[in-house]
Amino acid sequence: MRWKPKVMKTMALGLVLTTFLAGCSSSTGSSSDSKDGKTKDGKVELRMTWWGSQSRHDQTQEIIKKFEEENPDIKITSEFTGFDGYFEKMAAQAAGNNLPDIMQQNFGEYLNQYADKNLLADLSEYVEDGTINVDGVSDIIMDSGKQGDKILGIPTGTNALTAFYNVDMLKEVGVENLDGNWSWDEYVDIATKVHEKTGEFGTRLMEPKNLFEYYLREKGQKLFNEDGTALGYKDDKLLSDYFELNKKMVDAGVAPGYDTIQQIKGVEDELIVHGKAPFDFRWSNQATALDSASEQELAMTLLPGDNNREGMFLKPAMLWSVSENSKHKEEAARFIDFFTNNIEVYEIGGSDRGVPIKEEIRNEMASTLSDTDKKVFDYIEMVTDNSSPIDSNYPQQASEVLGALQEVDELVMYGQLSPKDGAKEFRKKAESILGR
Amino acid sequence: MTELKPTGPKRKKKSDYQNVTGYLFISPFLLGFFLLTLYPILYSLYLSFTDYDLMSEPNWIGLDNYVRMFTGDETFWQSFKVTLMYAGVAVPFRLIFALLVALALNKVVEMAGLYRTLLYLPSVVGGSIAVSIMWRQLFGNDGAFNSILALLGIPTHSWLGDPKTAIWTLIVLYGWQFGSSMLIFLAGLRNIPKTYYEASSVDGASPIKQFFIITLPLLTPVILFNMIMQIIQGFMAFTPSFVVTNGGPVNSTLLYVLYMYRRAFEYFDMGYASAMAWFMLIIIAVLTGLIFKTSKHWVHYESDSK
Repeated sequence: MRWKPKVMKTMALGLVLTTFLAGCSSSTGSSSDSKDGKTKDGKVELRMTWWGSQSRHDQTQEIIKKFEEENPDIKITSEFTGFDGYFEKMAAQAAGNNLPDIMQQNFGEYLNQYADKNLLADLSEYVEDGTINVDGVSDIIMDSGKQGDKILGIPTGTNALTAFYNVDMLKEVGVENLDGNWSWDEYVDIATKVHEKTGEFGTRLMEPKNLFEYYLREKGQKLFNEDGTALGYKDDKLLSDYFELNKKMVDAGVAPGYDTIQQIKGVEDELIVHGKAPFDFRWSNQATALDSASEQELAMTLLPGDNNREGMFLKPAMLWSVSENSKHKEEAARFIDFFTNNIEVYEIGGSDRGVPIKEEIRNEMASTLSDTDKKVFDYIEMVTDNSSPIDSNYPQQASEVLGALQEVDELVMYGQLSPKDGAKEFRKKAESILGR
Repeated sequence: MTELKPTGPKRKKKSDYQNVTGYLFISPFLLGFFLLTLYPILYSLYLSFTDYDLMSEPNWIGLDNYVRMFTGDETFWQSFKVTLMYAGVAVPFRLIFALLVALALNKVVEMAGLYRTLLYLPSVVGGSIAVSIMWRQLFGNDGAFNSILALLGIPTHSWLGDPKTAIWTLIVLYGWQFGSSMLIFLAGLRNIPKTYYEASSVDGASPIKQFFIITLPLLTPVILFNMIMQIIQGFMAFTPSFVVTNGGPVNSTLLYVLYMYRRAFEYFDMGYASAMAWFMLIIIAVLTGLIFKTSKHWVHYESDSK
């Protein structure tokens, strides 16, 4: 009993001592990130993060080097990962109030999530005073980075869903050049023929996260309602039809089941890359990765559907955002300006982050485009003429709802749920998530 | 006591000084313990009663997270079931395997060190990402395992793609990393006096009888220790399901900790994830307590019998 105060006293002493020691080491250790975030030689230091493939990492580092050459007062340290894990890492940094100055941000649920929590800086003033020059960028594109009247992200480029197809494999069954006018029935028909003729798969299983929304839009429906509090479509038959369409092909061996899909790690691994399936539906900026990995001749067209003008939309490939806690917002804005306005950036990166948002850059690049980039530019032009505006009513919990859709899709494709029950199950899950 | 009184104050001072030195020396540890262990633990208990989403201030919501966990979340129960099955099958599997190898190694005299090292190796690289990636390759559709089956004329199978078999690949992976339990068993075996065996062979006991009458009873304290350590490890497993199968197919390999990680960092649901962590803590504590309680009946300490 008697020793208790003594223990407290000595422990307090020890505490003071160790905190003192710890304090010393931390103040000497972080010399580069001292009070005003400047390096020893007076440069402003910016932290920047992005996700992507190896080729993107290499390109981006080259772009950063160019930027530092032209802006000797700024030094950029970069952190990058694949898409898996990126937002988990950002969440942890946000919790620690330690978001990077410049971050690659994703349109939709992620942007909305960060916006709701006031974690992103409003870039309006830098756009107004010309630090970020967006002259000639269409309003539709700029809107995608807006929340209310705040500009929270500048798009790196434009993207659209694409039906990639293998020209030679389609020729084998007598289909020359798809022009984007094709129904779902025709799609299934071609896929089945290719499967019967070649013995390979006739298509790749559609990823529900991106494609069910397209499927709904093409039928004049939305995934979420206006204020993002519930699902946007009323009739479960829409989802059960979608499941049915895919399930039939899986059962017939025309499309692979999840046991095959699960083996695919990364775009370079996709069936279409190895000539094992003629179709693959994914984002247009992935053409670079597909083409460079594949020896097949791949072409791009609109997704199937009688109404694909309604279904198709342009999406910002990704956004550049500045975090609210950044001490150097202006310097960060200068980088974004460099990224959107410097032709050299696109000479290095091509269409990997989408087609440039500025027309003058697109025109300037036209003469020197690689074959792949030319294909992507043409395709985006085609979508621009054949599309309707994107739905930006994604609720905060959207990523969880889409996760549930993925889960149900697996259950249905494995045959553990019928398409009809799957559609009901998804509604039940989505409602419980959105109602929380 | 009373006769010591006169010298008391002086002595007290000396020991006082000694104590201060002692406390000073352990204070870095105490500080680390309070700041890095105790405080986070208690804070997570607090968070489990809030709706903390990592970015905005936590709001107190009482027992809501726990209620939701037990009544409104099928995935939670799925992950719990998978983890029970994983720990329930993989732990005995690993222990039996470790014991068998330890018994074999105990007999080896020549180059024992080399064998021990080789067998321990999988556990050194054990929890690592690299091994998990290797596992993914081995059991993939075009992986080594299927190639061998094909060579032998046995039909191949999508091991990781079939909800029925995916969890088994993880269980085999767990069993394969038996090294540390094996070393502890080996030390336990070495501790059993040779004289027991000599005496029993004089009486004509067969090796099998010796194993059940001498080896196993004397090894029970080691078995108890290994069992508890392995059960805790089994419940906390994360890397294999994260890397090899990512919880799929259809959540058949969704281990508890992986689901917790998803809730925390993918769905910004840290309050709920904290509640999950506390539920797991209670489950492990109860299980460990139960094992300790039953241990009276099957663990034999040599000191007791004397």
